[in-house]
Formats: sequence, structure tokens, C-alpha cells
Amino acid sequence: MTGPPPRPPFHRRAMAWCRSMVDGLLRRNRIEADMREEFRTHIEMRTDDLVARGMSQAEASRRAHVEFGHVESHRAAARAARGLRWVDRLRFSWVDVRLGLRMMVKHPGLTLVAMVALALGIPTGMAPMHLAEALDRPLPEDSGNRIRTVRFWDPASGVMTLPTEGDLEILFDESSSFESLGAFRNGAFNLASPDGRAASVPGAEVTAAALAMLEVAPLMGRLLDSEDERPGGTDVVLLGHDVWTSRFGGDPEVVGSTVLVGRTPHTVVGVMPEGFFFPFRDQLWVPLRRSPATGPGEGPPLRVVARLADGVTTDEAHAEVSRIRLPDTHPANRGPSRLALEVVPFSYMYVGLPRGGFGALPEFHFMRLLGGLLLLVACANVAMLVFARTATRFRELAVRTALGAGRSRIVSQVFVETLVLAVCSAGAGLLVVDVAIRRVPWEVMAGSSILPYWVDLGVPMSVLPWAALFTVMSATVAGVVPALRITRGDIHGNIRAADSGRSGVRFGGVTGALIVADVALAVGVIGFAVGITGYLNELADSDLRVGVPAEEFLAVELRRSMNETPALGEAAASSQSFGAVQERLRERLASEAGVRAAVFADALPRMNHRSRLVRVDGPDRDDASARWVRVARVDVDFFSQLRQPILAGRDFDRGDIDGDVRPVIVNARFVEEMIGGEGAVGRRIRLVSSAESTDDPWHEIVGVVGRLGMNTVSRNGSPGVYFVEPAGSIHPVQLGVHVGIGPEEFAPRLREIVSETDPSVIVGTPVVLGEVQQGDWYVAVGITAAMSLLVGILIALAASGIYAIVSFSVSERTREIGIRSALGASRTTLAYTILRRALAQLGLGALFGIPLAAWLLLQLQDPDAERGAMLATIARSVALGLGTVGLVGLVSCVAPARRALAIDANDALRAE
Amino acid sequence: MSEHAEILPGTLDLLILKAVSLGAVHGYGVLLRIQEISGGAIAIQQGALYPALYRLEHRGLIESEWGRSDNNRRAKFYRLTGSGREHFVEEEAGWRRLADAMSLALAAETREVES
Repeated sequence: MTGPPPRPPFHRRAMAWCRSMVDGLLRRNRIEADMREEFRTHIEMRTDDLVARGMSQAEASRRAHVEFGHVESHRAAARAARGLRWVDRLRFSWVDVRLGLRMMVKHPGLTLVAMVALALGIPTGMAPMHLAEALDRPLPEDSGNRIRTVRFWDPASGVMTLPTEGDLEILFDESSSFESLGAFRNGAFNLASPDGRAASVPGAEVTAAALAMLEVAPLMGRLLDSEDERPGGTDVVLLGHDVWTSRFGGDPEVVGSTVLVGRTPHTVVGVMPEGFFFPFRDQLWVPLRRSPATGPGEGPPLRVVARLADGVTTDEAHAEVSRIRLPDTHPANRGPSRLALEVVPFSYMYVGLPRGGFGALPEFHFMRLLGGLLLLVACANVAMLVFARTATRFRELAVRTALGAGRSRIVSQVFVETLVLAVCSAGAGLLVVDVAIRRVPWEVMAGSSILPYWVDLGVPMSVLPWAALFTVMSATVAGVVPALRITRGDIHGNIRAADSGRSGVRFGGVTGALIVADVALAVGVIGFAVGITGYLNELADSDLRVGVPAEEFLAVELRRSMNETPALGEAAASSQSFGAVQERLRERLASEAGVRAAVFADALPRMNHRSRLVRVDGPDRDDASARWVRVARVDVDFFSQLRQPILAGRDFDRGDIDGDVRPVIVNARFVEEMIGGEGAVGRRIRLVSSAESTDDPWHEIVGVVGRLGMNTVSRNGSPGVYFVEPAGSIHPVQLGVHVGIGPEEFAPRLREIVSETDPSVIVGTPVVLGEVQQGDWYVAVGITAAMSLLVGILIALAASGIYAIVSFSVSERTREIGIRSALGASRTTLAYTILRRALAQLGLGALFGIPLAAWLLLQLQDPDAERGAMLATIARSVALGLGTVGLVGLVSCVAPARRALAIDANDALRAE
Repeated sequence: MSEHAEILPGTLDLLILKAVSLGAVHGYGVLLRIQEISGGAIAIQQGALYPALYRLEHRGLIESEWGRSDNNRRAKFYRLTGSGREHFVEEEAGWRRLADAMSLALAAETREVES
């Protein structure tokens, strides 16, 4: 013999193996039934044979069974022979699922706490991925995922720059990766309804190619075509479904009619179907007419949309586009860093992601880590609960082990039980998130369309695999780990321990430390959150103290209709005409009864002011002193109209707007923080652009004013600079009208006045200045909401930990409590005995939590605040944090303690 | 000493393949056929037959199908697959070589060794 015979070819063995495994996994019940039937047939055939040989039926049957041997053992061996041993070990059966559901009902407290922890933890863990997926999604019209955009990107600063009309020509000429190339510009258009009322409609100037590449047929009429783009051609407009129904009553004859867009009559050529909002949330499209003969980098900026040619990947298109040589005179080559042309998914146009998407952002990975950590803490706490619950079933598990159940079988059962809990929790969590996102009117609250139409933050089906992954991971941490811990050790020892009524299982140092950390974190964050809430309340109080009686002001945004935005070279003339409108408006308002003042600025007090890097000139200030400050561009009468006293220097005057470099006025906070408190007038400041050029002119400070609501989140306001601008050069412009009590009643009149002055001006929604909720306000609300969520999660986690240890400790010490009770221990002594460990952990946690809360609050406090007041705030917040956690801890202790005190001494001893 | 021969480890699979190679047969029939072709010399513990049958099926050497037995009982019939037939031929040849070598070795006389 030369060795073992050759085996069948690998592919045959592999195929047979795969078929057998698939059968074993998918047709498991069938295989089991077949096996039972086959064994039964065998025994019956043998019985028949023996009967035929003259044996009695009963004796033959007994003999046949004996000869066959132990049926269960043969069945187990047969299953193992089929390679299903590991499937058996991790067997997932409906019995386990039912048991899991029963355990949830049997331990409602644990179920509730674990569900809250996981329902918060699983969506939190998933949130970064979900957000990335929602924002990084192809357009709904783009079924082949071929629509891309081309942009300039500065990798150094992460700033996106738009190509210009001239750049589009280069792309047309030098790229072959695209099937079609189009462009558009978003904006607002003043559209007049048939009744003559004009209102702003979000829309876009768009090339015919951009619309055509989406392959969406119009509901009526036609799309825009390239003929419409010809300068001097007929002015045409394509309407969105929403505008058609709301403004034209769904008029079936609308195509071919003439409507007024701005001041220009346009012929309606078509109506788009419902749900079409390309490119952002637009409802009106006019042809994009490009300036004739513009060179690279010249002409107005626009957004490029491109459809990849068949079989061309984004990378290939990108490689081609990035090879395009731009002339040295191109703005992309003139800045401090060379800008590169990039081909990226269309959604990056608005989200502003680098080419690598979210994966290229370190912040994204940090967020993912943070979410994962929170989920891990939640899982660890639920693990403790499951650990405690499993420990109470120690006797059952020990006996089952003795009867032949493998450790893996028991672990898989506990895993399935926890999985049931995790699935319910994840489902509940996702449902809450989905409802919160879909039902809460975020857009109404924000006052405008904040997200592009293709972004739906609701929970889509594509998130479910992630949810499943997180759920299984959670169940593994929370179920398998405790089960492994409970089932370790020898069977005999376990049964002896179970017989004595104890599990022999202890919460170790790690679990204890985890609970202490939970409590500490809860005290810290709750304290911090209480402090923040107090701080925000103070802000809310001081919110209206912005230097003007904001509740008496009506504010409205004015802008030119987009189709009347000046072409290149006409900007000066246009701003003069817009300025003339502004001046006429001022005169009209001055003569209007009840109007006390009217001001124009890019941001009024309480509104979101832009932040810019500003540097102060001076002998003791080097270039490193540039700091972020809030800036506003205001008209010359801004401060006089607002009746703001000039604290030092002078107010702006008409002469200031004539020069090329205009003087500025700064606020008192600016003087304190940037100039050292005095001598501001006469000093110079300069805006620092990100491109670090020396072109930024110096502006002389001519005056100082008080606080004027530049940043409502900062109690003392932000340092700020006011730049004076001639009428018409601020666009869009905010008009603030001081009309006294009940300014909202003046809103219709204000619209009338603007419309009478110039019907083409787009009038935004008038709001009472005191009710403006912008940027800073959202920051404050966002922080509060995030804090509340975090506090909720931490309370749930801390409560679950405390509940677990107390509950477990009671079930473990039934006998001891019984004996103590029989020996006459008072209820107070018993309660103390039961709660001692929990109280110790609470105390220890609090001890660590207090400095944490204090430290967090110190980060928040204004360093200039009075020391006593600061300490009082910290003390109050920490006390509230302690109180909350203490209360939660005690409530968690109540149910187990009551259970313990209800133990009858005789029953406990009889059970022994 | 028992009148039945103890089967050597690893030989059960070969015996089953032989029994099945003679025609499709159900589990109990495999047992009877082995007893028959071995002249009643080889007895197998009945229940132990099935893990071996399932192992061979799992490896793709035999396949099974439900049918009716002679006395009209529903029974699972096993037959050799192509791959099983090749495997059986190779195993059988190997076994014969081993058996011949064993017989030869055991038949050796003292003088043969000395020479």
C-alpha cells in the first residue's frame, strides 16, 4: 500500500459540502423529521423481522429498540456527521425567542430600563453613519448614479469655489468623460400670480442640458431647450408643481400664458411633475443665458452638473478633469494655494464634503467613535442587567448543564433572549427617531428650506442593515459576555452553589467601577446641563436686551429678483438703482404715520451676524493678534436711526461713503477685547481673508457704540465691527422698521409700500425683530437639546446600573434577609443592609462627579464673572445633579428593596 | 470469543459503500446486506450505521431519496454517486493491497525471515 487513496476532486467535495450545509441550515426541521422517520422505520423493520422469526410483537419491539441503541445519541452523532455541530451550538429557535419575550414580560423593570438605554444607544451609535448616508445620496432622478458636479476645491482650507461661465467652456472643450454638461444658479424670483400679487419663489437659472440629463418629463408643455438660452430670445419660464397649484390654482391652460417674473413678462412653457425640486428645493426655472465670450475664470460663478458617459467612473472623469491646464492668469492659480478642479457626487455641491466624502473627515470618525462609545456604555449597563437576570436563573442553568446542555447552547439561549430585547429596543429607538425627524416641522421652525430635496433624514430601509449589525453587536456584548461569565466553572460546584440558594456569581470590580463611572458621569453631566439651562435662561432674559426695543421693530429682507441680478459690468449701475429704491423707501417710510425709524443692514440686532477674522494695527500688536469678530454692513444712518449713543468718537456721516476705504465703528466689547479698553478711535483694523493676501485695506475706527445684539448667545455680546455702506450695495438687505407696539400689524402695509415703491423687489416674510430665531439661537437650542438627550441617556444608564446591582443583591441574599428578619432585625436595618452596596457606589460616583461638573461649568463661565456668583451657580448645579442622580438611584432601589422586605422569614428558611 | 468479526476503524464507510454499490437500498437493508455479503461474520451496531450514512452523504459519496420498501413502508433509499463510485473503487483497491500485504505478512515462516 502506497498511502491513503486519493480523495474526490475538491470542487465535488466543496459542492456536496455546500449543498449539505445549506440544507442543514435552511431545511433543518425537515432533516430532523426525516431522521426521526428513518430511525422509526428501521426499528419497525427490525421488529417485523424478529416477529417473523417467531418472537412476540412486544418482545420483538423491545429487542429492536435495544439493538438500535440510544436514539438521541445516534441522532446527535448523525447531526455532527452532517457538519451541523456548530449550527446546533448556536441554534436559533423560536422557543428561545418566545423565552426571550417571556423574560421581557417577567422582568418589566429591567426590560424598561434596558430598552431605554438601548433605544437611545443604538440610534446614537448609528447616527453618524445614518447622517453620512442621508447626505451622501444620489438624486432621486438619478437611478444610474451618474450625475456629478465639477468644482474647485482648496484641499488646504476645505473651501469650495464655484467655476465660472468661462470655466464651463473649458470643460466643454477638454473633457470627454461626460455624456452631457450643464450648469445652473439658484436664487429667488419674484413671481406674480394672475391676481397681480407678487411673491418670492425659489428657483434657478438652468441650462437645457442640466434639466434634460435628469430624464424627467414635464407634466405639461415642454422642458427648456437650448434655443431658450440664446441671448435676446423670448423669455420663458418652467413652473414647478407646487407653484402651479398654489399660485395658479392648477390652471390647465397655464402653458403658453404670460406671467411676470420680476418686472419681465415670461411665457410659461411647461409645468414639472410633483416632487421635482432640482437642484435644491426649486419651483421655477428660467434659461441660463451666459455672457458672450468669457475667458477661463471670467464671468459669473455657476454650479456645474454633469452626467458621466456610459462606463466612465467618477475617478476616471476626475483624472481627466484634473489634468486640464488652466492659464496662469486664472484665479485658481493666483491664490496662496493652487485650486484643483474636481469631479465629485452631486450632493457634495451643497454639503461641501472633500472628495473622499465623510470618510475623509477626521471629525466624522471622531463622531463615530463617540457614538460607538456611548453605545458601548449602554451595552455594558444592559450587560449588567442581563448578568443579574441570568444569575437569578443560575440553578436552572446548572441543572440544564448537568442534564447535558452544552455551555454553548446556554450561551446561545441567553444571546437570543438579549437579542429579542435589543431588537425591540432598536425598533423603538428607530421609530422614535423617524417620527421625530418626519413629524417635527423642522423647516417651519427654521423658517426656510434648510435641506436639499434629496436629503431625507428619516430612517430609510438602507439603514436597517446597520441597525441589525448594531443590534447584534449590542446583544453580543450584553448577552454573551454575562452568559459566559455565569456558565464558567465546574458543573458540580455550580450545582452545589445553586443548591445553597446562591449563584456563586459576584459583581466584580469592573462592573462596580462601571457603575461608579456611570454615576459620576451622570452627576457631572446633569450638573453641567443644569448649569447650561440656567445659563440659557439668563440668555433668554437678556436676549431682548440688545440695545434696541426689538419687540417694536419689524424686519424684512429685500432682494432683487434673480433674473434682474446685474450682468457683469452692470453691477455699479444696478446697485445704484437698488440704492435709489432704498432711498425712496426710506423717504416713504419717514412720511408714514407711526414709523419712527427705518434702517438698512445685512444683519439687524438679534440676527445672525457673520464672523470675520480681524486684525488691529498698532505698535504693540503683531499680526498674530487676528481674532474672529462679528461684522455688520450698515447704512450711514444706522446708529442715528436706532438712537444709539456714540460712546466715543463720532457717528458715520455722508462723507464716509465717498472714499474707497471707509471708516468703521466698533462696539465696546471690541475695544475691551481687542484694543485693551481705551484709545480705540484713530486705530486701524483690517479684515483678514483666508487667502492671507495683503490686499485687505485698513479701516480707521471713528467711533465706539454699545452692545447691539450681534451674538445673543454670549451674555456680554461679541466684539463687533460695523462697516458703512452706500445705499444699494448691500444685497440682500434687511430693512428694520421701528413702529412701536404690535409691529406685526404693520406687515401688510410694509409690503404695500415696498410694492408701490418698486414691484420687482422681492419682499421676504416680515418678522418682529424680537422673535427672530437665527444662527445663534439655533446654537443655543441645539446645545440644550443635545444636553437633554445626553442627560436622559445618562440617567437611564445610571438607573439601570443601580437597579441591576440592588436587584441582584436582593435575589442573592434572600436567605440572609430571612434569617435577619427571623432574628428580629428592624426594617430600617434590613433596608440598609440591602442598599449598602448601591449607596456606596452612588456616593463614590457622586464624589467623582462633583469635580467633573464643576470643571465643566468652569469652562462655560465667563472669566470676568463675579467669583461668588460663579461658585453659587456651580454649587446650585452640582446640588441639582446630585439630587437628580440620588433620586433616580433611590427610585431604582425601591422595587428590589420592597421585594426584599416582603420576604417572609419562615418561607426563606423553609426553602433551605 | 464472539462469532462476529469486530470491524476495524475506518472500514464501516467502505462496507457501506460496497453494500450501496450493489443497488439502491434503505438503511436497514444496508445492515442486512453487509451481514449477507460477509456471511454473517460482520455485525454493526444498528444505530451507529446512520451517522456513517449521513457522513457519506454530506461528502457527496452517496445520495438518498424517499421510496417504498418491499413491505410497502416509506423508507429512505441510498445510492452511490459518480464521485462515490470512484472513491469506492480507489478505496477497495487500497484495501485489497493492504489485505494482501497483511495476509502475506502473517503467512511468513521463521525460515523465510532468516533467509
